[in-house]
Amino acid sequence: MEFLANIGLGFSVALSLTNIFYCFLGAFLGTLVGVIPGLGVLAAISMLFPLTFHLEPTTALIMLAGIWYGTTYGGSTASILLNLPGTPANAVTCLDGYPMARQGRGGVALFMTTVASFFGASFGIVLLTLFTPVIADYALRFGSAEYFALMLMGLVAASTISEGSAVKGLSMVVLGIIIGLVGMDSQSATVRFSFGVMGLLEGVSLIALAMGVFGVAEIIMSVRRVRTADIDPETLRLKAIKPSRDEMRRSWFPMLRGASIGSFFGTLPGTGPSIAAFLSYAIEKRVSRTPERFGNGAIEGIMGPESANNAADQTAFIPTLSLGVPGSATMALMLGVLMIHGVAPGPNLISSQPELFWGLIMSFWVGNLILLLLNIPLIGVWVRMLTIPYHILYPAVLMFICIGAYTSGFTVLNVWMVLVFGALGYAMRIFGFPGAPLLLGFVLGPLMEEHFRRAMVLSRGEFLTFFERPISAVIMALTGMILIWSVWSAEIIRRRRAARAAGDGATTHEAREG
Amino acid sequence: MTRIDYTDLVGGLGLVLTGAAVSYVSISQYPLGTLQRMGPGMFPAILGVLLAGLGVLLSLQALRRPGSRPDIRIFSPLFVLGGIAAFALVIVPFGLVPAILAITVISSLAELRVQPVSLALLTLALCLMAPLVFVVGLGLPISLVRWPF
Repeated sequence: MEFLANIGLGFSVALSLTNIFYCFLGAFLGTLVGVIPGLGVLAAISMLFPLTFHLEPTTALIMLAGIWYGTTYGGSTASILLNLPGTPANAVTCLDGYPMARQGRGGVALFMTTVASFFGASFGIVLLTLFTPVIADYALRFGSAEYFALMLMGLVAASTISEGSAVKGLSMVVLGIIIGLVGMDSQSATVRFSFGVMGLLEGVSLIALAMGVFGVAEIIMSVRRVRTADIDPETLRLKAIKPSRDEMRRSWFPMLRGASIGSFFGTLPGTGPSIAAFLSYAIEKRVSRTPERFGNGAIEGIMGPESANNAADQTAFIPTLSLGVPGSATMALMLGVLMIHGVAPGPNLISSQPELFWGLIMSFWVGNLILLLLNIPLIGVWVRMLTIPYHILYPAVLMFICIGAYTSGFTVLNVWMVLVFGALGYAMRIFGFPGAPLLLGFVLGPLMEEHFRRAMVLSRGEFLTFFERPISAVIMALTGMILIWSVWSAEIIRRRRAARAAGDGATTHEAREG
Repeated sequence: MTRIDYTDLVGGLGLVLTGAAVSYVSISQYPLGTLQRMGPGMFPAILGVLLAGLGVLLSLQALRRPGSRPDIRIFSPLFVLGGIAAFALVIVPFGLVPAILAITVISSLAELRVQPVSLALLTLALCLMAPLVFVVGLGLPISLVRWPF
């Protein structure tokens, strides 16, 4: 009965007029951001974050979460119509969505991905509701050693699994932690790495960092590269979006499989919606009796991934809300938002802030319902957004970033920080360093230091404590396995590439070197 | 294509320098403490060494593999970042509207092909919209126009 009471409490919070309004606003803005290629969810959340300063923390989170899952709904639109993923999680939707649009079935594809998104999200929310309290309950036993080990695992997984070189990912995590240490040390009141700037006493602004590394750097990369598309509006009339009976029949199982895959990978650190979508696509292709249709507009190829990425969006909240350990950069940003509002994340969150926790989760139902209603009749409107030229869009986005940075604390220092991190972000793009691990490290850094120090005090300076306590030892072992696996798989890829290059003939560099 | 991966070599060396600097500052300026009672310098000192180590690893990898030339632009970052700098310099002494004017015009130059009419319309729209959203709508205390002299 307590469970029902909690759900009732959640709905009473989520269905207040203010919260419905901000949920709508978040979902709406999220779809908008998702539709427009070249504007990521991290940039969007950090850009709109200053607007939530004067809100209650629950309302603020409801709105920001709406932006997060809204982008995944919207991202499929650009994938299908332009062959350009609106967000990385929708990249795989291009493979079959774009051919569908070329065959004049773009309307069907947009309609069905919205259905798949809603299905996947609902699946994820149910799991989130059931499992988060259980995990949090279990986590109440965790001490500092366990937390440090968990955060370490999250960071290692997030930086090595996702993409590119593991060394680059890890180095960005470390750099992020170091940037996170700037300012007053909470235990000794020593000011570190502030270079005499008074404003840095409170540390580097999370907002400025996220907006610089993701927003500004993205704009610099996209200027003169993003092209505006032309789309045939005829295929998107309301009549043209009705799927055939056969398409409906073939969509059920991919949706269900996608939702399960997505829910699983959403909870793990470092995987998240993009990987879930890719895996779902691979599995659909494998189980299909007609795999040759994939890539030529197979509806299974969009239903599975779109269901998977939305389920993952929701279940990503499980570790964030139950343990206070975020698995992705976006979740780290959510956690940062909580902390800025003075709410301590961790297993106590559910019992100490039941309105916030249950209200947030129940608002996901509201938000997804709004998205369902928003997307189907308004497909034409979103498509029109795609035709806004980038040279109009980016100065406006930059202006919002600057005003947002300035008004979060009313200090010009934040604007200068945006500039510095924009430059850093651009340099990172040139050298191929990923941004997400930097942000994760930045948010988790101070917490990790605190837990590390506390664990060392409790163990009298014995580093082995992380391996002697059973839970912590298991997590450390997992972390080690992830590290070894990533080094090993990188080596395999390198060998394979070298072998292929050698096979290509004498023009390759290996051959010349040999 | 280049014979070794210069991009990663430079990136790796950059990490080494950054890591070394962080460790140097933490060891020389902040108390290290002991492992049992860690001072404020200990954690960053360890991290600096870690960062430098990862940089060495990356540079060594770069020496073993061919790389491609990175696509570096000069004008895009110059005008985008210049616009932000202009905003930062203008907002306090002159107020919001001149700051919007500065950032829109300067960052638009990054396109390298100025369309005066559309730029003027965009600037006008933003100068009207931003005060409406932030000052009227959200009630934030920012002055619209100011003359400091």
